[in-house]
Amino acid sequence: MDEYEIRELCEKFFDAYENRRVDLLDGIYSDDCVIWHNVFGRETTRDENLAALPDSYKGQRRRTYNDRTINTFHDGFVIQYSLDGVQHTGHRGSLWICIVATCRDGKITRIDEYMDSSKFAAWAGRTSGGAS
Amino acid sequence: MTTPDTGHRRLCHELFDAIERGDIAAVDRCYAPDMTLWFNVTGEEMTREDNLKALASGTDLHRRRTYDDRTISTFDDGFVVQYTVNVITHSGARVALSACLVAEVRDGKITKLFEYLDSGKFGSR
Repeated sequence: MDEYEIRELCEKFFDAYENRRVDLLDGIYSDDCVIWHNVFGRETTRDENLAALPDSYKGQRRRTYNDRTINTFHDGFVIQYSLDGVQHTGHRGSLWICIVATCRDGKITRIDEYMDSSKFAAWAGRTSGGAS
Repeated sequence: MTTPDTGHRRLCHELFDAIERGDIAAVDRCYAPDMTLWFNVTGEEMTREDNLKALASGTDLHRRRTYDDRTISTFDDGFVVQYTVNVITHSGARVALSACLVAEVRDGKITKLFEYLDSGKFGSR
């Protein structure tokens, strides 16, 4: 994959997440794709990830993935972005996240996600401190 | 001849090796004069001088701190490194923290750093 194909795949991935298109995400993950989260310190399979998505969307009215700064390397990309959420209460919050992904044959084969769990409560509007 | 890839990789290792040794002068040599560091925990940008001061004052916080399992990927004007900080506290406890650093590089020096980690793990130190 060249740089442009990798960038396009990255944008497609985040657009699909934003639009809650689990069907599109299914086609973006390779069959053996694994997702690792620094917060949990463990890997999940693509099927576990896709199965968890509908419930994960329920908490917010809207989620957008903004300020995407993408850099590509020969077999993947790193993206730094803001996850902006609007809760059902109207509360708005942002999380700053970095993902490093590897790609092969037009699909994402691995995702490593880095974020700060101490911001989760403020993001969801459960406290007044931290990121908002 | 040094390619950007090998140059960025070497710079990344020089930075982490210097931090590991507590060699602040060597860290400074990796930084451009206008270097800034943004930290996901504070959401704020730190100047080069403030970062060097923080590193100098942090050297005695633990008995030993190593930056291991460095997975480096390079791009034209920078690199991303995924790593594990292994800390041995003064009481002998061992703590591991997974982190990620994105760096912008110009003329062989780091101009910007973005550090991402989970401060929720700090409590286990």
